[in-house]
Amino acid sequence: MKTRILKTGLLVVALLVALAPVYWMLTISLKTELDQFASPPKWFSFTPTLEHYYDAFVTRSFGQYLVTSAIVAVVSTACALVIGTLAAYALTRFRFPYGLDRKLSLWILSTRMFPAIVTVVPLFLMMRDLRLLNTKTALIIVYTGFNLPFVIWMMRGFFAEVPQDLEEAALVDGDSRLGALVRIVLPLVAPGLAATAVFCLIVCWNEFLFALVLTQTDAAMTLPVGIAGRVTQYEIKWGVMSAAGAVAMMPILVFALAMQRYLVRGLSLGAVKG
Amino acid sequence: MPRSTRFFSAPAARRELLLPYLLVAPALAVLLALSIYPLLYSITVSLQQETASGVVWTLAHFKRLGTDNFFRTALVHTFVYAVVALTFEFLLGLALALLLNQQMRGRGLFRASLLVPMMLPSVVVGIVWRLMLNPDFGAINGTLKHFGVNTESLTWTASPRLALLSVIAVDVWQWTPFVFLVLLAGLQAIPQEPYEAALIDGSSRWQTFRHITLPLLKPAILIVLLLRTIDLVRVFDQIFILTEGGPAFATETISLYIYRTAFRFFDFGYAAAMSFVLLALTNIISVVYIKLLRQ
Repeated sequence: MKTRILKTGLLVVALLVALAPVYWMLTISLKTELDQFASPPKWFSFTPTLEHYYDAFVTRSFGQYLVTSAIVAVVSTACALVIGTLAAYALTRFRFPYGLDRKLSLWILSTRMFPAIVTVVPLFLMMRDLRLLNTKTALIIVYTGFNLPFVIWMMRGFFAEVPQDLEEAALVDGDSRLGALVRIVLPLVAPGLAATAVFCLIVCWNEFLFALVLTQTDAAMTLPVGIAGRVTQYEIKWGVMSAAGAVAMMPILVFALAMQRYLVRGLSLGAVKG
Repeated sequence: MPRSTRFFSAPAARRELLLPYLLVAPALAVLLALSIYPLLYSITVSLQQETASGVVWTLAHFKRLGTDNFFRTALVHTFVYAVVALTFEFLLGLALALLLNQQMRGRGLFRASLLVPMMLPSVVVGIVWRLMLNPDFGAINGTLKHFGVNTESLTWTASPRLALLSVIAVDVWQWTPFVFLVLLAGLQAIPQEPYEAALIDGSSRWQTFRHITLPLLKPAILIVLLLRTIDLVRVFDQIFILTEGGPAFATETISLYIYRTAFRFFDFGYAAAMSFVLLALTNIISVVYIKLLRQ
């Protein structure tokens, strides 16, 4: 009995530590400036206002950053999914000479381990030479490459779980390989495909360093860069920041909770099946 | 006719032989263009220097690595950051996973709530903790003051002494849930039989943990440590947003120093040279972990 109370107590503390800071940001986004700086801090009793949300997304350009973030995330995720799924299918279903299928897969995984800062310098120079700085195209290209190894590894795992007999039956019935892939295999891995897509969307939506380096104008900036640009200026509008932060995290939380079942698998690049 | 021969003798067999390569080609092209080419490009950048008489080939950038105090300090910060954060994240994550690896009410809700920090965009983590840690009107000092604690010396990210600890604490806050999640998945994959056998043998709790749980959990442990170590060594986002490497470079890690060199001083050559040190570090770390994993 005693140990059970102790356990529950520990878990409640962990829960408070995890959630209180986020809750605090949400309250700041809903407080008048007077309440934001009140001493002692007002954790619960304040009159909520939506003025900061209006200020951020209507008066300032955060609405535009939001749209840019969404476009970049959706388009690059679609590209990575198409290219990556085809490659993953080939790597699980065909034997390449010299064990190339295994070697290629490992090489692909290793590109994912590159520290972003290592590729950000040359990619900045390349995009500058191609006159693609401050465009959504640059981000879409970079994010597609960034997510590709992840898509390939996740989908390899999902394809490996589909019994080959099903496709072979389709092939015997005169289907082409690609026909069998589209009609038989893809519907079976649809949940995995959806989970992979959501992961890519989250990664693109959250990505900061490449966006920071490649986009500096209002027209091309993503939401994280827009927010960070304001945080580091000397006069900080806490309410506006918090409102923008709250909006930036909402879609991610919804997605993540919906994908809980695949979370461990995705975050460990398919290594641990949760 | 058996399936396989029918498949390979079909008229389309020739095209089918090429198919695997066609399917892999686009992915390889993208990865070559966005990983390998930039890396090669970076090598040339790191070996060149602009002088009055044009671009010359030189090893100057790599020689500078040995004498640059900022670089040495950044290495030390990165090392401290990675070791301290990894230790806390692992121990706390393991403790939470062991606590939750049994039937109890509200487990699903608890697990879901713990996910919140690690899913947040890093820029949001930055804002959240700026609001918490601000020395004058942050929630932590405000609340401490309310309970009569003297917070004058607790200036967190604004103090050169506490800044590195503060950013480490934020990392632990954000990523302990990840360690917890992976280890919990690992624990739940362990079969019941060895535990039943241990119970019959009358092993103590510690013995059971030491001789059954730990060895069977080893793959999950190594994978989570590998992923965390790599992320810690290349950390950039949260620190950039929380402190930009300050105050007085107290929180400047390698990634932040490379960023400052490239995009504040526009010394791309030296930045590229430093980035190869970081790349070598992460490679060594991966190889060591993968060796351990294969054992």
